[in-house]
Amino acid sequence: MSELENIPVVAQGGAAPAKAGEEKSGGLFSRVFDELTAFCRSRSMFMLHYCTGCGAIELPPAMTSRFDMERLGIQPMVTPRQADILLITGYVSIKTLKRVILTYEQMGSPKYVIGICSCTVNGGMYWQSYATAKKLNEYMPVDLYIAGCMPRPEAVITGMRELMENIRGGKADNWRDYYRRYDWYLGNQQKLFGERWQTPTDVIGEARHYGLLGDQTLGEHTALLERHRVPLPPMEMRLGLKQEGQG
Amino acid sequence: MMTSRHLAPSLEFLLQEIQGIRTKRKGQRRLRVDLSAETLPALLELLKGRAGYVHLSAISCVDWIEQNEFELVYHLWSYETRVLVMAHIRIPRDHGVYVSVYDLFKPAAFFERDIHEMFGVYFEGSPDMGKFILTEWDGPPPMRKDFDGEAWVMEHFTWQDYRPEWLAEIEAKGGGITTRPEDVRR
Repeated sequence: MSELENIPVVAQGGAAPAKAGEEKSGGLFSRVFDELTAFCRSRSMFMLHYCTGCGAIELPPAMTSRFDMERLGIQPMVTPRQADILLITGYVSIKTLKRVILTYEQMGSPKYVIGICSCTVNGGMYWQSYATAKKLNEYMPVDLYIAGCMPRPEAVITGMRELMENIRGGKADNWRDYYRRYDWYLGNQQKLFGERWQTPTDVIGEARHYGLLGDQTLGEHTALLERHRVPLPPMEMRLGLKQEGQG
Repeated sequence: MMTSRHLAPSLEFLLQEIQGIRTKRKGQRRLRVDLSAETLPALLELLKGRAGYVHLSAISCVDWIEQNEFELVYHLWSYETRVLVMAHIRIPRDHGVYVSVYDLFKPAAFFERDIHEMFGVYFEGSPDMGKFILTEWDGPPPMRKDFDGEAWVMEHFTWQDYRPEWLAEIEAKGGGITTRPEDVRR
């Protein structure tokens, strides 16, 4: 099933980020090194802001010269694969949630999710809507919620600072929870999207690769996924000019 | 301007050609027309052919659950008479079938597909009655009055636990809750 195992792993130990936290007892040097890594990590956060709702309007003032997030080392990033933080700003409709999960799974670890606005906490003002998901942390591990409708840029930055503190202290490791309890998250996703739900990312294979396979990674929901999984065809890429439609 | 003032009465003159029609001036540029469902295609054809009503801006639907009827409203605009015509028809609710006006106005396909998705009204002759925006949805048409969205949500979703210790932390910093969930939810 897992094609990830075929990828040769050259570097051991420190290169795999998952093991960094667990090897805390490994001596003074590695402890200092871990602390340094955590400090650096907390001071250079690239955020991918998935602007789903109204909360997105509070980000431009937070990012630009008025409040200037970049003085804290936080700056926007354009692709999920290069980002550290996923910002969900506002209500997540069920259709959007699929895309959010795809985006989240493509991000490289360690990754952090911040839910901004009341809608991500508990549905917010759309709590009676049939079309929006209510609790974001049922579908992906959320590190921090910034409540408010909408939170002002000061609140956003306060939340960011809190996340920075958590990363520096090694407390923000919810991304591991996604691997360890993948069966639970997948079960909630399947409840909304149906049992044929699948993503292109092989989460179980990644968990195995990073040594994060917990006793709740596999379960009935992942078994259901295995049964319905359709192997994705490789994407066709062609270089050169199109022959049709040029005349 | 001469044209706009004089063409609108001529429009009312034109509308008198159709039997069983009731018109009502809602404003200087707005005209409400009530008619039976069978005569609507004839009205649209007449308006399009003789008064320059080339623009179907919207079709809206109202669910009158007590009368057991759907009301369809066709909003039409003419760049010549500059009068908005709103044609109201009623169709029975339990069948919810009507003819498409796609042959007269191409944008009707978009509105009809939307109404089919939200209210379950089927339009005969519309090019596509497939799913449109609610691609993930397989429940009843959600904008019908008999669909209780709140009950559906209560059945399908759970809510965040209330954690007083978080609140104490926030209150220590000067924040807090103003409206509790129990006050809003039933």
